[in-house]
Amino acid sequence: MNHTFEILGFLLIVFTLVMQWEQHVRRIIILFAASSFVIALFLVLLGLNRPSEEYMLFILAGLTIIVRGITIPVVMNRALNRLHNKPWRVREAKPLLGVGGSILLSLVFIAIGYFLYQNSLYSILKVRSGSVPFALFLQASLLIITHRHAYIQMIGFLVMENAVVMLSGWVFGGLPFIVEAGVILDLLGLVVISSLIIRVREHTIMKDGNTMETELRR
Amino acid sequence: MDQHIIYLLPIIFSLSGALISLFADRAGSVAASVLSLASAIYLLFQPVCIDGYLYIDGFSKILILTIALVYISTVFYSLTYLKHIENLLFQHRLYYILLNIFVATMFFSVSMDNLGLIWVGVEATTVSSALLIATENNNVTVESAWRYVIIVSTGLIISLIAVTFIYGSAGTLSLHALLQHHPDNRVFLIGIMLGIVGFGTKAGIFPMHTWLPDVHGKAPAPVSAIFSAVLLPVALYAIARLMFIFPSETVQLFAFVLGILTVAVAALIMTVQTNYKRMFAYSSMENMGMILIGLSLGGYGLLGAVIIILSHGLAKSSVFFLTGDILSISHTTNMQQVNGLIRRLPRAASALFLAAMAVTGAPPFAIFVGELFIFAAMIAKFGWLLALVVILLLAVAFISVNFKTGKMIFTGKNDLKRERSRTETWVAIVNLVLSFLVIFFIPYFETLLKNLL
Repeated sequence: MNHTFEILGFLLIVFTLVMQWEQHVRRIIILFAASSFVIALFLVLLGLNRPSEEYMLFILAGLTIIVRGITIPVVMNRALNRLHNKPWRVREAKPLLGVGGSILLSLVFIAIGYFLYQNSLYSILKVRSGSVPFALFLQASLLIITHRHAYIQMIGFLVMENAVVMLSGWVFGGLPFIVEAGVILDLLGLVVISSLIIRVREHTIMKDGNTMETELRR
Repeated sequence: MDQHIIYLLPIIFSLSGALISLFADRAGSVAASVLSLASAIYLLFQPVCIDGYLYIDGFSKILILTIALVYISTVFYSLTYLKHIENLLFQHRLYYILLNIFVATMFFSVSMDNLGLIWVGVEATTVSSALLIATENNNVTVESAWRYVIIVSTGLIISLIAVTFIYGSAGTLSLHALLQHHPDNRVFLIGIMLGIVGFGTKAGIFPMHTWLPDVHGKAPAPVSAIFSAVLLPVALYAIARLMFIFPSETVQLFAFVLGILTVAVAALIMTVQTNYKRMFAYSSMENMGMILIGLSLGGYGLLGAVIIILSHGLAKSSVFFLTGDILSISHTTNMQQVNGLIRRLPRAASALFLAAMAVTGAPPFAIFVGELFIFAAMIAKFGWLLALVVILLLAVAFISVNFKTGKMIFTGKNDLKRERSRTETWVAIVNLVLSFLVIFFIPYFETLLKNLL
């Protein structure tokens, strides 16, 4: 079973790597939806592996598909459609890194995640390939730091949350159901509210341009 | 569980307030806030409630009371203040719905017996409050709201990792169970420390404090008031619970150092502020730093921290309400363009002068007494030298805030026209008086906290 988890973890890292160099927002949303389905598959496999908790994990997998895999991407896409005439063309206007740079930095972050895990947490947790969620978490932070587009930053945050699901399931055997369900509901609320803020923000950016740091401090 | 329903009353009333606001926003919110305050006072005289779902001890009760007091004042202040806001992002009704839900999530966070649910509650405060920041629709408030969402949520992901670590090593997230028995291993220790950093983001603790001045500087006055007065302490409540569970030297030292750094950074940045709302935001950060220091020291340091939580909540909400009055006549937050307040708005200016003194720890306000308790605990543990450094930092903050506030109030031409005084100023004055009165209830707080001291 460990090998399957490793393959799923690797797949999630690849998805995030592609998000890093992809500039079109809609494609990044689709990649996020795909990675959420991978997380759901991970939870199903975890349930099959732990018969005592299987129903809870299956319900969580279902919730993950409904909320992360379908509702969140739909909410984001709708907000994108309302804001732009050609939503499929919306992209990061000024990427901080080029394709080469983003791949290189992502790989460096994966290596850092691996190094940090092996040298600090591995001796305590004793879980092989436990570095995968940490690498994913670092990649997600890179996604937030290197992009200015609010949707991509939001997806960076959601990928971080996916990394935590991996971490809790893989390394620690999951959180209590009520907490996991609460986290998913919070996430849904956050995406809905963020979509509203993003919509207003894009309007003001179109009208007045980007808000400068000095304006916030004034 | 049935007999414990009374402990859920503040949550029930504030949520009902949100529902009633759909039809009668102002009346519904007033009724909900009055009933929440009544139930918070009633809870003070009820026994401790630990039933597997709820964990309401003396510490929680004081937090519930602080939230209820600031809630009622925010609602009353908003009744008239919202009329002055031009270009509202949404209708008044939505403002009151979000405000009531926001308060309910804070009540929820300080009542739960489960660290995971406390996390859910604290994250829910982000969801419910983000739009409130952008009540006044312009590019700067919207950008502040977005930064708040992304920075605070990212910080809270760190605390979710912490919750995962704690559950992974202890097998439970129940506060009660963890206080009875907890593992003494590195995974648990890392979990507790990550939790301090993660929840510290929401509390404005260095180094994850960057959202705080942006939001407090640009949000409307009642929103800045409720954020500063109770949202930050609710996040500190989660940190306090983590430290009660695992009171090891390493954890206490870690929190102590973060507290000192927070006070230092806030005090130094305050000296160069030209925006009065941002200056008071840094003052909140400085107070949160002092509270964290108090929590890390335990004993009378903890009592000092609790005194600051309540008195700062009341005094700082008063300050932000008054900044709302100033902003509505001056239309700027730049201190250099605001002067002669004592002639233009004498009542608000006098209250602001006293409120600024209160939040910077001037005697006889209760923050001063809280800081004395913290210094006594600090001297007992670390000696005079470190305490002197912190006193020096507090002196820098005191001079910065009061000198700049005094300049806005007392300088300017003598022929400035007196403006029509505002009814909502009384809300700020009431909070200021209550902040002073906290001093008489300190022995009662000591009784409430006797199990923790």
